[in-house]
Formats: sequence, structure tokens, C-alpha cells
Amino acid sequence: MPQAARSHKATKVVERMQKKLNRQLVGSLVACVHCGMCTQSCHYVLSNPDDPTYAPAYKADQIRKIFKRNFDWTGKVFPWWVKAKDIRSDEDLEKLKDIVFGKCTNCRRCSLNCPMGVDFATLNRMARGLLVSVGVMPEGVAVVSKDQWEIGNQMGVLPQDYLETLEWLSDELENEFHDPAARIPIDKADADVVYAINPREVKYDPRTISDAARIFYLAGENWTMPSEGWDMTNFGLFSGDDELGAAVAQRVYEKVIELRGKRLVLSECGHGYRSTRCEGPNWSGNGVPFVMESSVVTMLRYIKEGRIRVDKERNKEVVTFHDSCNNARSCGFYEEPRELLNLVVTDFREMYPNRAENYCCTGGGGAMSMSEYTPQRLKSGKIKADQLKATGAKVVVTSCHNCVDGLTDLIRHYKLGMKVAQLVNLVANAMIIPEKVVLPVEALLPAEALRLKGFKILVVDDEPDILTFLSAVLEDQGATVIQAADGEEALTLILKEKPDLVTLDLSMPGKDGGYVFDEIRKNPDIASTKICIITGKPELRRLIYERPVAPPDGYLDKPINEETLLTNIHKILEMKHSEGHA
Amino acid sequence: MNFAGIPERIPEGKYRVVKGAAAREVEMSETLRFLADDLQLMALSFMAIVYILRIRWLLKFKASRERQAPSGSLNTSSLKGIVYSWANIAMPWSMESTRQMIFFYMQFMIFHLAVAANIGMSFVIPYAPGLIKPILVVRALQALFAAAFLIGCYRMYRRFSNPAIRLISTPDDIFSLGLLTVWSFVSIFAAPNRPDLGEGALRLYFILTAFFLIYVPFSKISHYLYYPFTRFYFGRTMGHRGVYPLKRSPEPKPTRG
Repeated sequence: MPQAARSHKATKVVERMQKKLNRQLVGSLVACVHCGMCTQSCHYVLSNPDDPTYAPAYKADQIRKIFKRNFDWTGKVFPWWVKAKDIRSDEDLEKLKDIVFGKCTNCRRCSLNCPMGVDFATLNRMARGLLVSVGVMPEGVAVVSKDQWEIGNQMGVLPQDYLETLEWLSDELENEFHDPAARIPIDKADADVVYAINPREVKYDPRTISDAARIFYLAGENWTMPSEGWDMTNFGLFSGDDELGAAVAQRVYEKVIELRGKRLVLSECGHGYRSTRCEGPNWSGNGVPFVMESSVVTMLRYIKEGRIRVDKERNKEVVTFHDSCNNARSCGFYEEPRELLNLVVTDFREMYPNRAENYCCTGGGGAMSMSEYTPQRLKSGKIKADQLKATGAKVVVTSCHNCVDGLTDLIRHYKLGMKVAQLVNLVANAMIIPEKVVLPVEALLPAEALRLKGFKILVVDDEPDILTFLSAVLEDQGATVIQAADGEEALTLILKEKPDLVTLDLSMPGKDGGYVFDEIRKNPDIASTKICIITGKPELRRLIYERPVAPPDGYLDKPINEETLLTNIHKILEMKHSEGHA
Repeated sequence: MNFAGIPERIPEGKYRVVKGAAAREVEMSETLRFLADDLQLMALSFMAIVYILRIRWLLKFKASRERQAPSGSLNTSSLKGIVYSWANIAMPWSMESTRQMIFFYMQFMIFHLAVAANIGMSFVIPYAPGLIKPILVVRALQALFAAAFLIGCYRMYRRFSNPAIRLISTPDDIFSLGLLTVWSFVSIFAAPNRPDLGEGALRLYFILTAFFLIYVPFSKISHYLYYPFTRFYFGRTMGHRGVYPLKRSPEPKPTRG
């Protein structure tokens, strides 16, 4: 029977594979002996022992068979003998997408455990890049990549929002220290330190920026943050798009060169550190004329040089440390965080295995932006959850924003009752502030700031970043916040907790937001609950409003900023307030 | 040919094997001589040509390099990483997979030693038979080949019974393992090198060896050809980045008290 013609996309994938192949990749493609030694090193396999399709060698074979069929002599002549198989249709590409994006986080643990030196993570990244080049990728990857290409950072933070956030944090810093010089310098030339961050910090976790700023200020550092090229993260690492990788890294490097900065300090982000410090020069094809280091190294140096003083008694909880895959397995960065931890906490306990042998947080490889794979990601986190639980720690510290989200998600899913922190938080907390410094900023907050006190709000979203952000903003206003990561959990909590307001995401795995909305409105016990839909899919508005039930009380589009959120929440709840809430 | 160990033609059309001054005459048919000598050289030449082409093909692909400053521990380097990576195969403690599957690792060692000894024997029998004359050497080889045969059988069972291994196995994987297992079995009977007691085992051994040499470049058995390359580049990268040599912090063993 004649074989069906290859689809245009499949043709392009094969053509581009030929261009992408280098000696290392070809070595990894031809050297596998199918011994199965990699199998037990993968957290997906360990958490899903009954599903052999998670085995790294099997996943690699889905790429290998295309290579063999098209580029390797045995596979060309006797394809059935070596299970070589061409990729023919768009459906084939979709299947491959679900494997390389949905069943692997590129954590590189199997690569370290392969006797032959097959680097599966690199193969997987190549396959991702090939699929992305023909537009086959999870929606989240497309959105984030687009933002990083077009807006310059992976979370679509607009320049004005970034600068306003830094301005606001500077005001706080100045208030805290009663010193007009206590501000975040922007685009200061000839600084000793140029500090680049993860956009997640601007959008969801600005406290990490203010903690870093306090440390730089107290260390008397000559530092600055750039107005552009400040995003040290790089979605090119996850998407396999080397051109994006090069462009993003180059953007950061060029800004440091323009400012004549002496040292680029990277905030605590595993993939950002790897992309900027270890991969960027390879993607861009050039070395860089300045030093790059993690902020962990910077903080450690400040303490060792006596530029800041710390009191470890201020961090007395039992703490463990999670090594980010990108830091430990791809950059050899694992001793300094431990050294620093031992200086700022009283009770640090290792988790096992650790360092380069640690298990992935399950949120790596861009997994946190691929909500369609969330259920299998959470299920595959069982081994990580067990590992965390065995430490007996109350706080898990990590030097990676992705890991913060991945671990937070697992901790909630497996009900581990732990908190996640970063070293910058612990160092800032342990810092001994000189006498001249005034009261902490919280004491200066006006009573007006707690306008949501007394309200119970249920936040429903499958993206941990969004959950954290919404919760933090609402809690800062005094609200009691409860969280649900999916529709089923949301319905249970609504019936049990009877919240005043539900913020509801629409696109969620399992029971989606539309279903939850219907269920609330149809149940007389909870039908009057205020609902504010917060979605990244504004096009669904009509579908929601056309339902034969009372409409939602608010409908907001993502991305959402703090001001818009609070304005709308106040508006919705004050309506209720006037209806008799105490 | 009349140097130590090389078969020497004698008038009757038979061969004798000479080892130094103490020559032991072993009669060998023309067929066996052809199988042990000419056929092996032809098969080896073929394998060498295909391997040269294969390496040439691999080297056509450009090697990527590390342009960034070294990272991680100051005690590591690209060179250390390469050496560590190459030596990795002899350090079962260096990988979690081999630490946790030490029995599997031992099987690997014995099996590969047996294959190496078997290849060596295919040269020794025709060219230096005196080396395997002592009965202790013969018995040691037989024990090694028998162990390899048993391991091969077990590996075959594992390849079919373990769902993950079954899923990834190709006909080549199964055939290659089967070939080496049968070869090990036949080698048990070829090791005494006594054509005077019957040439069947030796003939079969050399036919299998020749087939093995011709088949290897097209099969997964040629992984040893790629091993130096894959481990070189992986070690170079990991050494440059301070990951190799790997630093471990083993879990403390529970105490009684």
C-alpha cells in the first residue's frame, strides 16, 4: 500500500532536524542500547510504575525513530529491524508534543544515570524546538514565548508596570530606612552590580525584590536594575527555540554592556541562571565581557566580608533545601546555597537524594505554563512529595522561582503542610538592621489598607503563580483567603466554607470554571455567592453571560494587576457589604 | 608462516600449531583453517571499513562547544570531567542507577568481559594457541563464557518480561542479545581448542565469530564505538559546568540508638 504523503509540518520537522543535529546529539541518538538503566531515575516512572511509556528510553525512542528512518543507514534500509519510523502527519506531531512537553521536564536526571552518556534532556529539548518551529506546542508555551519575543519578558510585564513596581518598592525602602538614598537605582551607569530578575517577582512576588534591595542597600553596594533587558529568565530553554534563547540572553548582556556594569547578578531562578549564565553565550555565539553570578553567591560574599550581619536565630524553623535541576545538574551550583543556609537558619536538614541527584520539583521545563498536563504532573510528583515529607522540615528552601511554584503546588496537592521560601527571604529576615533604622513598613500601613478584613474569599485557579498572587494581594488587604486548584475542589470548598466571594478561572483541567459557575448558580444554598471570573480567555465572556443563570458579578481578563483586581473586588464586595455584611 | 602460534601448512594438507620450542601438533582441516584465519580476516576487514565510514559519518556533524566561563566547583574542569566520564563505567558508585542495581552492574561487567575474552580467543586460537593451553586458563574461560550465557538468558527473559524493557526492545536488540548468548554458549566448547576431538564446535565458533564481526557495525552491539564520543562530550560539558566529578551526600544509615 503506498504510504501517505508527509504533511507540510512533518516535512519541515525532518528538514530542520537535519540542520539541528550536532555530534553530541547524534551520539545520543545512536548510542542507546536499551538497557533500561535510565528507567528508575525518572520521577515520572517512579510515580507511575505501571506506565512504561514514561521510561526515558521509550520517550527518547520517539525522537530516535524519526532520526533512524531519515538519517541512519540501518533505519533507512531495514526500518522494522531497529523500529525506525517516519513522522508523517500532523497527528504524529501532536502525539510527539504530548511526550516531549507533557512527559518530561528536561530535568536531566536520566542523562546523569545513563551508562552510555546519552543526554536525553538535550534530545528532548531539540524535539521541542522542532515542534515549536512548526507551531506545534502547548498553548502556554506559545503565549509565554510570544510575550518574551514581543514584550521582552516572559510574563508580559509592561515597561510602565515594571518601573512603577520598582518605584513603589523604592518608596517602601525609603520609608523603612528613613533614608532618601534607600532606593532602587534604575539604569545607573558604572555600577558594580547589575541585578536582573524573574518577571514573576514583579508580577506575583515583589517581596523578593524588596528583600534583595534591602540586602544591597545594607551591604552598601553600588548597584542598579536595568530598565530593559531585566528579565534573566529565558523561555528558549524550555521551548527548545535557540533563536529565542539567543535573543533574550543577548538583550540582557547588551544592557549590562551599555551600563558598563561590572557584574551581572542573577536573582534566584534556576532556569534563568542556567539560561543566562551557562547557555546564553552558547546560543548567542559569543562570550560576555563581565562576571555573572547568582545572588546566592553575592549574599554569601556580603556575609563573609562582613558587609551584612545576620542572626540565624531569626529563622528557627526546620528547613530543608531543594536543588533546582538547572542549577545543580546543568551548572554545578549546589554548595553555595547550603553554605549560606547554614549561616542564616538554625536547623537545616538535607533531603535525600540531593545536589545533582535530587528529584525534579515537577514544575521544570516550563511545565507550570502547560496546564493541560497538570494532572499528570501532580501525579508524577508523588516521589518528590515523599522525599519532602521524609525530611520532617516545615520550610523547603529553593533557589528557583519555578521550583517555588512547582513545590507549592505539590505541597498543596499532597497536603504536606510545608512552606516554600527562597534564600533571599531568609537572609533578609536574618539580617541585623543597624540602629538608625525605623519600624518595619507593616506598622506604617494605614487602617484603610485592610478594607477586606472580615471577608472570606475563595480563589480558584489551576496556575500556582496566579493563586499565590491573588491570595497575597487579598490577604494583604485583610481578607481570609482559601484556595482551590481545580473545579472539584472549588465546589467542595464553596459548600463547606460559604465564602463571600469566589474568584474563578475558566480554563482548568477536569471540571472547568464554566461548570463550577453553573453549579454555584443552580444550587440555591450558594447561588447568591459573589463570583468574579478572572480568565485568560476573554472570548469566553459571551458563553458565560448567555447562560440561563444569574451572570457573574465581575469578569476580569488576565493578566491582571493589583490595582484592577482590588478595585473590582472592593466594588463587588461593597455591593454585598451594603446588603448587610458586618 | 612459521612463527609462534601461526598455523603452518604441512604436506598432507593438514595444519599444525607450533608454540615455541615445545611444539604441539594439532591436526586441523583446511575448512577449519579457512574459518579460523581467512574468514576472520575478511570479516574483520569488513568491520573495520564499515567502522571507518561510521566514524567519518559521525565526525561530519559539528561538535558544539561551551563558550561560557566555567561554573560550579573550582576543583573541576573539562579535562577532569572527560576522565571521570570515561572512567564512569568502572565506577558503579558514580551513578545512582548502578548503585541501586549493583547485581545488574555485575552482570554487565561479566557479560562484557566474556565478550572481550571471546573476541580475544578468536585471535588466540589461530595465532597463539599456547596462551590457552593451560587447563586452568581453559576452565576459567569456560566459566566466564558459561556465566555470560546464563546472564544472556536472564537478560533475554528480562527483555520480554519487564514491560518497560519490552516496550523499547527492537528486533535488533533481541537478535544481538541472542547472538551473543549463543556465541557464549558455543565458546564454552571451543575454548579447549581440540580439533583432534572433533571440529564441530570450533567451526561453529568461528562461523559465529565471523558473522558477529560482520553484523556488529549494523547493530546496537557497536555501542562501544560511540561510547568514547558520547562520554567525551557529556563529560566535557559536565566538567566545564562543575557537575563532574559528581559530589554526593549519601543518606546516613539509621542507627540503633
